Amino acid sequence: MATNLKPVDVVVVGLGAAGGTAVLPLARAGLKIAGIEAGTWMDPAKDFKADEVHNNVRGMITTGNKIRREAPTFRTSPDQPAQQGGPSPMMNAIGGTSIHYHAQSWRLKPWDFKTVTEVKKRYGAGYLPKGSTVADWPIGWDDIEPFYDVVEHEIGVSGKAGNINGVLDPVGNVYEGPRRREYPMPPLRTCDYLEHMKSAARSLGWKPFHSPAAINSEPYKGRTSCGYHGYCDRGGCHLRAKNSTCFTTIPEAQKTKNLTIFDRAQVTRILADSNGRVTGVQYLRDGQEFFQPAKAVLIGSYTYENVRLLLVSKSKAFPNGLSNNHGQVGKHYFGHWDAQAGAGVNALFPMDLNIWYGAILSQGVVIDEWADDSFDHSGLGFIGGASLTVYTEKHPIASAASATFGQAPQWGSKWKAWIHQNAGRAASAYLQANSFPYENTYLDLDPEIKDPLGDSVIRVTSGPKENERQACLYAQDKMEQWFKAAGATVVTKGNPTGPRLSTHTYGGTRMGDNPETSVVDKWGLAHEAPNLGMLGGSVFATSGARNPTLTIQALAWRTADHLAKNWNEIAG
Amino acid sequence: MPEEKPDTMTRRTVIATAATAAFVPVGAIRSAAQTPAPQRIFSPEQKRTLEAFLERLCPKDELGPGAVEIGAQDYIEVQLGDYLAPEKQTFLDGLAAVDAYARTSQGSGLADLSAEKQDQVLTDIDSGKAPQNTRAFFNRARRLMLEGMFGDPHYGGNKNFAGWDLIRYPGPRLATSPDLQKMGVAIQPYRRSAWGNDGHNH
Repeated sequence: MATNLKPVDVVVVGLGAAGGTAVLPLARAGLKIAGIEAGTWMDPAKDFKADEVHNNVRGMITTGNKIRREAPTFRTSPDQPAQQGGPSPMMNAIGGTSIHYHAQSWRLKPWDFKTVTEVKKRYGAGYLPKGSTVADWPIGWDDIEPFYDVVEHEIGVSGKAGNINGVLDPVGNVYEGPRRREYPMPPLRTCDYLEHMKSAARSLGWKPFHSPAAINSEPYKGRTSCGYHGYCDRGGCHLRAKNSTCFTTIPEAQKTKNLTIFDRAQVTRILADSNGRVTGVQYLRDGQEFFQPAKAVLIGSYTYENVRLLLVSKSKAFPNGLSNNHGQVGKHYFGHWDAQAGAGVNALFPMDLNIWYGAILSQGVVIDEWADDSFDHSGLGFIGGASLTVYTEKHPIASAASATFGQAPQWGSKWKAWIHQNAGRAASAYLQANSFPYENTYLDLDPEIKDPLGDSVIRVTSGPKENERQACLYAQDKMEQWFKAAGATVVTKGNPTGPRLSTHTYGGTRMGDNPETSVVDKWGLAHEAPNLGMLGGSVFATSGARNPTLTIQALAWRTADHLAKNWNEIAG
Repeated sequence: MPEEKPDTMTRRTVIATAATAAFVPVGAIRSAAQTPAPQRIFSPEQKRTLEAFLERLCPKDELGPGAVEIGAQDYIEVQLGDYLAPEKQTFLDGLAAVDAYARTSQGSGLADLSAEKQDQVLTDIDSGKAPQNTRAFFNRARRLMLEGMFGDPHYGGNKNFAGWDLIRYPGPRLATSPDLQKMGVAIQPYRRSAWGNDGHNH
């Protein structure tokens, strides 16, 4: 029998990048919040190490007990069996994946929010990818820009503006949407390799700029600046210079005394009454079951778990899962076509690059000429493209383990001599392509595989897509050109076959105006359950050609802000 | 060019910040520190075979120590008795399969063959000529060798930081100055374990 707890105003499920951001505007508005998180606090001094075995080989900062028990299954088409396996992109800890992510903090482009309209206008409806269910977002640039601005300044983002109120500055990204003011901090430190790559890009007539990053380039809000020690990838920041929500918005919310954190607590069900309003959440902590009543619930776990929580939360009002009477939960899902999806490019240089240290993608330089709709796609047969990022931070095991570009065998004295000379001379580029939802790409409950509680895990169905593949191949050629212009002696390109389980996943509770084709409205609140909000990549209608976290945070802030400002109407 | 901010961070301030960072409530999910008691996993015979195998993957030569002197086998032994314990039996079975193939194809156990014949055994495995079960061992042993040679010495390998010296990785610093990212220059190695000791706690 579940123990009934004292009611609160809002339950936030998951205190990661999304939920960990939403708690701050709620707390500042004076609402009483229960933040329920499956993980707990990590300790920078103890847990965050400059150690590749700890971070990358064993994934000590990228995992959690709960996610191990509910790893999704995957298949490339509906007529195939789905299998569990592969690293899980989910995370259990206060701060969530914002602890170990690369912290590139992008705004999407105005084009990303209105892709269907813009493509039809410029190229005609026939240019939209076949089989795609892509839709315009119900919000546009002017709706989200103020929230990008708030979050950039609240958590601290380093970068250089390329477009302030329409005034372009080629030192920043001239392809970005107009912003109201400069970033709160300048970009992270540059280095020889990045300057070298910038010169090469300029020789091609391109406009390189430094990555926007949620890492302090100078002391900010009482925390120090980046140490560029090179263990940012899958590691937490020992200096608290990476602006993870466990160092920024969550402690800020705690200061108000309005946020109570329930850690090591696994939410199992969202409950709803017969009128279709959610009444609170049920969770397990130390083997005991609790019911936390609330006037509103915001779900901010990962895309896979957001969808699973809705689908397993069946009730009289929602026999097919919470807010799923239109059958839209799990639909319009898609993973990001990026380097992990095969769209990587590697290069070997004839000199020591000395990019062992650094801050992964955040100490990076980006080319945006070949992303989104920055170039004319007439006659190319695809829409979108990819951003190209070159970056620092190389780890010793991975560097010794990497391919030898066909120049040496994989063992023996010749291999040893090759890695001696070249382990520090190889570089990779990170490509991220505009990706879209399709009819045959979706999430549902796996009919066979269950977690130890007997609840189905999520089944991911996601196959090859010709539009995205063509966009990746096109962008990989551009990346090869860039590396060669910089003097690379050999360049190899991956085969873009598409995302499997991904750290960038979108849709499943898509945002839209129409309940027939979306789950949440333009504020992120469920069409069918108006006091339920969804936070995270699961509300995205398109991916953009860049990392999602800042957009996730801007939307989470916006949903929470809307809820607080319309509290009586929504939750009263 | 964005305006360059002077790098004011010193090692002292870095350490001070890291120490006071415990402002965050303590109580991590998992214990980060790992101090496994060395455990004997290999019989003397198995150890000889494994060392012979690893030493052909990465031989001692004019460039310096090979896999054995760098301690890859020690990493593997420590870890098979600890974090990698679930794969201990598979590993030992694979090692036995390699030795059995050496006997059938070259007439004696791997450790007793000449370097040339040992290389032939490895080449057969690598090219798929040897029985299938030796191939999985080859891949896993090579991967663990890389971890043992190039991972932090904390885990039992990378003796005297010789693995990092081999690939010219300059060591895990807590913070770096711009000089440490200059292209084409040799960087002074910083020979420390990330775990705050000389790295040899086994």
